[in-house]
Amino acid sequence: MATEITATEKPNQNPILWVARPMATAARQFAKSLFRPSTIVYPYERLEDPEFREKVAVASGKPIGLGQVWDNYRGVHALNIATCISCNLCQFSCPDLCIEMVTVPGGDPKHPKKCPEIDYGKCSYCGFCSDACPEGCLTMTTRYELSVTKRSDMVYSPQRLNEVFKTKLPMNPIRLARPANEDSILLDVPLCIGCNACARDCPTQCITMLDIPKPEAKAGEKIPKRIWKEPVVNDSDCVRCGTCISVCPKECLFWGTRK
Amino acid sequence: MSEMWINMGPQHPMTHGLWNLRVRIDGEVVLDVDPEMGYLHRGIEKISEDRHYNEVVTLMDRTCYVAGLAWEHLYILASEQALHITPPERAQYIRMTCEEFQRIGSHIMWYAAFVNDIGLMTPFLYGMRDRDLVLDLFQSFTGARMTYEYMRVGGVRNDLPPTFTDQARKVLDWLTDRFREYDQLCLGSSIFHKRCDHLGVLKANDCIAHGVTGPMLRSAGVKRDLRKDRPYARYDAVDFDVAVADGADVTARYLVRMEEMRQSIRILRQTVDWLEHHPGPVMAEHLPRWLGAPYAPVGREGYLLKRNYAKGVGFSAVEEPHGEAQAYVVNEGTEHPYRVKFRSPIFANLSAARQYLVGYRVADIPPIMGSVDPCIGEVDR
Repeated sequence: MATEITATEKPNQNPILWVARPMATAARQFAKSLFRPSTIVYPYERLEDPEFREKVAVASGKPIGLGQVWDNYRGVHALNIATCISCNLCQFSCPDLCIEMVTVPGGDPKHPKKCPEIDYGKCSYCGFCSDACPEGCLTMTTRYELSVTKRSDMVYSPQRLNEVFKTKLPMNPIRLARPANEDSILLDVPLCIGCNACARDCPTQCITMLDIPKPEAKAGEKIPKRIWKEPVVNDSDCVRCGTCISVCPKECLFWGTRK
Repeated sequence: MSEMWINMGPQHPMTHGLWNLRVRIDGEVVLDVDPEMGYLHRGIEKISEDRHYNEVVTLMDRTCYVAGLAWEHLYILASEQALHITPPERAQYIRMTCEEFQRIGSHIMWYAAFVNDIGLMTPFLYGMRDRDLVLDLFQSFTGARMTYEYMRVGGVRNDLPPTFTDQARKVLDWLTDRFREYDQLCLGSSIFHKRCDHLGVLKANDCIAHGVTGPMLRSAGVKRDLRKDRPYARYDAVDFDVAVADGADVTARYLVRMEEMRQSIRILRQTVDWLEHHPGPVMAEHLPRWLGAPYAPVGREGYLLKRNYAKGVGFSAVEEPHGEAQAYVVNEGTEHPYRVKFRSPIFANLSAARQYLVGYRVADIPPIMGSVDPCIGEVDR
């Protein structure tokens, strides 16, 4: 049965009362606002200030405290360069392609360390990068003030993101558990040439090259020219970044379920 | 007097967004109108084809920016059907809670903008103040105030915080009192009735002929609500009424939306109670492995190789705050949707503008268009 809607506030016959009713309602609110406005005096009162949260919420007459709210806010990123393993997962997971991996000092010259550089002109603050970060070194903070005078200032270099990290702002406490049924890196054995590229570039060093026996030459058969080693992936250390797949020259590594 | 065309928009306070209403007038009387949409077209359907299933959620918040979670729900329902995934029950209840809170937030936003159109400034401030509470609540578990990016294929990103149920109940109690104030400010005011009664009449037959849905259709007396007629999520398990009014005019739309908010509060009290007593997982267990529960775990390259997934087609229809929204997702066995198509309710509601504007005065256009509740981000997509 459909709801019978009736006007709860029937207009009174007296036209003066028509105006008086809403004005009385507004006057009640006006009396309340003399003690404390519903708004927050922004530059002087800041919601992310932990001491101020409860005070503001209670004083302005709001029914809920804002205290617990702000820690998981998705603002400017904080990057801990020291623990970044250059796995590229943040770059891969970015829907807006605003993350670029740039070289930072600290790596060895052959394999330089790369950390994310974020263009906040493109960023949509979706948080997929910090969700994907396996080490928890890229997180989002409560900083939201981003106005700049030059467009190039919107690009935050890894060092600048590291400075945000050093300010110890409240960071997003929610860490998502990795899914139980993730894919593993599998090897297509006949294609592998044992070139060591995957083990060399693995950010977590979870690939080891194991010796395999060189087969005996049979009559009429040629032994393929290759290094007699093959990669073995340690699944518990693997962060599923896919670097090994992209560097493999023979495309012999692929995603799949380990039997 | 000679006739003339005038442009109301794209920069006009009445438009609530970026669109243009061309009006042919004779003096004060509206003879013909021609709504022009498309100023805000971003190609969301095409961009979706180049993204992972979960990454499309970021676009859904930008589709309708006052009802982001309702659109996330719409897209997620369709893509879950296309990918053959069933979410856990707790995730479905969380989504329902999100959608109903979003309905309240969207209707309060409409209330604030609409009363501002007809010249009442005080209710505008009240509305914006109370909508803030809904946003605070959303922020406590999504981490953002407008672009939530909360739902994922197979569930939702994270569980609700332990304080959520208490805070939600406090907000609901607070809002119940505020809705009474809203009625005192509007229905008790002669200004409101003089500007809104018997305006913009669109009868039930015309509504159905032009595909007009949502509160506009229900204000014409048609009892049509997808939550009742085609229940999705767990709407079959909650108890609520469909708000219907008879007038088919601006006042009737006001009544329907206010009643819908009260019914939303009724639904929310049930879902919040359920959520308090039924802890559990919020993510499906048997996802396609490459979907990688909360995020897409690997890069763009490397996944198309040597993989072949189950194909499928998904369709969903959701009673969004503005009307019936529909989504169609085609899964061709890759990690990107092959095709995504959306049906926007406001596009149909606005396109029928000629039916409910012609014959009224120029000064009547802002309240009538305000009662339609246009959100142009969703119309143009």
